[in-house]
Amino acid sequence: MSGEALDRLMKMRDDPYAAARAWKERTGGKVMGYFCCYAPEEMIHAAGALPVRITGENRDISKSGAHLQNYCCSLARTGLDMALDGTLSFLDGTVFVHTCDTMQRLSDIWRLNAGFAVHADLVLPVRFETSSAWDYMTSELASFAEGLEKELGPMEDSALVESIKLFNRNRALLAKLYQMRLASPGILPYDQALWCSTSSALMDKAEHTALLEEIITDLQAGTATTDGSGVPLFGIGSVMDQWDFLAMVAESGATFIDDDFCNGRRYFDFEVPEDVPPVEGIARRLWGRSSCPCKHVPSRDRGACLADRATAAGAKGAIFFQFKFCEPHAFDYPHVKKALDKAGIPSLNLEFEQGSVSIGQLRTRVGALVETIKA
Amino acid sequence: MKQLITNYYIEAKTTKEKPICWITSGGPVEFLIAMGVIPVYPENHGAMCGASKIAVGLAEVAESMGFSQDLCSYARLDIGGAATQNGAIPGGLPKPDFLLCCNNICGTVTKWYEELSRFWDVPMFLFDTPFIHKSKPGHATEYVKQQCLELIEFLQKQTGKKWSDDRFAEVAMLSVEGVDLWKEVLKTAESRPSPFTCFDAFIHMAPIVTLRGTQEVVDYYKLLRDEMQERVANGVGAVADEKYRLIWDNIPIWYEMRNLGNLFAGNHACLVADTYTTAWAVDIKIEDPLTSMADAYTKVYLNISIDLMLDQLLALIERYSADGLVMHSNRSCKPYSLGQYDLARAVTERTGKPALIIEADMTDSRAFSEAQTRERVDAFIESL
Repeated sequence: MSGEALDRLMKMRDDPYAAARAWKERTGGKVMGYFCCYAPEEMIHAAGALPVRITGENRDISKSGAHLQNYCCSLARTGLDMALDGTLSFLDGTVFVHTCDTMQRLSDIWRLNAGFAVHADLVLPVRFETSSAWDYMTSELASFAEGLEKELGPMEDSALVESIKLFNRNRALLAKLYQMRLASPGILPYDQALWCSTSSALMDKAEHTALLEEIITDLQAGTATTDGSGVPLFGIGSVMDQWDFLAMVAESGATFIDDDFCNGRRYFDFEVPEDVPPVEGIARRLWGRSSCPCKHVPSRDRGACLADRATAAGAKGAIFFQFKFCEPHAFDYPHVKKALDKAGIPSLNLEFEQGSVSIGQLRTRVGALVETIKA
Repeated sequence: MKQLITNYYIEAKTTKEKPICWITSGGPVEFLIAMGVIPVYPENHGAMCGASKIAVGLAEVAESMGFSQDLCSYARLDIGGAATQNGAIPGGLPKPDFLLCCNNICGTVTKWYEELSRFWDVPMFLFDTPFIHKSKPGHATEYVKQQCLELIEFLQKQTGKKWSDDRFAEVAMLSVEGVDLWKEVLKTAESRPSPFTCFDAFIHMAPIVTLRGTQEVVDYYKLLRDEMQERVANGVGAVADEKYRLIWDNIPIWYEMRNLGNLFAGNHACLVADTYTTAWAVDIKIEDPLTSMADAYTKVYLNISIDLMLDQLLALIERYSADGLVMHSNRSCKPYSLGQYDLARAVTERTGKPALIIEADMTDSRAFSEAQTRERVDAFIESL
């Protein structure tokens, strides 16, 4: 471990929502949950509320089985279960962004059953890169902001500008942390770097930013905590919250050097431009950031983009870590795999469901990938 | 009907001069017809493959290419069919010149058509219809309307032909006429006994889905309507001694349709209406076809929230004097299936009428248990 700030952040991993509960108690403010990282957190923050990302958890389903079939992803099923059994009772409301078919229906089911006071939908375009989609997106964001104001209180432009600055600062620090690891992976185990990013969506942003500043200073002063000689891998998927899996990967002699997880690199990449009106700036970030497979961006070949990024990071292999029943990712898999093959990067496709990850079985497969790369 | 569809596929397979566009089932086909493009529907072909029990073999081809078995079975069998030039049509579907994907039925089609665009190396137009949770905001209508204009541009570029508003008005008129006739056909099932079951409607819906906006479709549904009205006049029912009237929800279980039809009929239960075939009964206003089309294509059953779906389900139950609801929980179709558990409870709470949920898949028979379904249907009918 390299310091007090990191220790504090890492302790949070045992109880990811403790910080949000404590914030609510301390400030009396409202907490707004959301699933998809296209949610404009700055708007929620500028309206005085705490945005908190819900990503489900490892658990057996008790209540959500009465609402969701078992052929939808565990993110939706365990997330709804947490809402129904009171685990998320600290939430005042939820924001649903149009992500995929499952999230779209989960929004309805959640609104009808979870019983939170506030419910807001943000229906972003699926088609990007046309002027009509851009006009629609900015109008939808503006009307979403108006709706939030009605529920949460006024959102002054000046407050939104300040929120954007704070969130950009946080993004820049996370990018720096990832960059430092790229240069010398040994300074910080990957699971801790990923938690630095993940926890940013779970607590007060100013507090998190202060911790990040300290962590980076400590890392710059300190020496490597691991030998950093593990086989460098690139991670691909949506939410990666399987910390035992990441520990096993490290034990298998490999480390993720970079990723495309939406609680990892995709959460913090691209800053909101600060030289345009705030709502437009937020729209520009969502428009230009590296894309989730749920968005149709004709000019961008997601396979080639990921292969380029993996190559640039110096990855020698890649692991797809995908939610079972996640259609957008599963549809892209053969194409992205082909692009990686072409770039000479062997890969492994792992499907998982929260609550039933068998580390033993996965260990054999990860071990085989590591051996292939070493050979 | 068979002749109509056979002729259509023969033309699609043999045409030299007409471009071919693959289109999703909820897509705005009127634009293609107006431009002299032949629309080809992988979903319609998927249904044919399901009914003729060749879907699993084709899906397995896609699975061997790395596509997960959990993906939509229409998409899997279509990708497998494209890769092997195989299917319910000899030699498989004709190669597309371009693709028109409308996401008013699901997000799945966006991913599926992206893959088709890569596989065939042809351009794809995504017609993006924002989902309606409560009401449709003005900027969503404007967005879809703008896309109608972009689609016209796209088609002009792809076909090298000039757009004609007059020709489009003609097609829109025929489309409205076809849709109105289809509604009249569906309406005859309000009679007791019903002259047809939804299993018949599933077969007869092919022309309204695929060839909407043509004279042939209008002629076909005139014949069908007259025949159904005659049956009503003569008191001829589709099910012998009709006792129970039920509503079907979701895409048919294509490979099991005949057996299921017999199972319900044997119990004197008639599935008089469904949420699936009514999806093509959209309103288009001839005075302003673009705006009304943008509106109609956004408001389809699968693009609205559970609350709005419930209103439509309750209206169907009342209109068709139904005694209960049969829901196919379809592994392949999340927008249709997620929410069914809540809908089933809400329907029973509001009407006192029972709902049965059958777990299956529209074309992948590996996800279906015949014995279990038979048992559950029998028990359900007894509860009526």
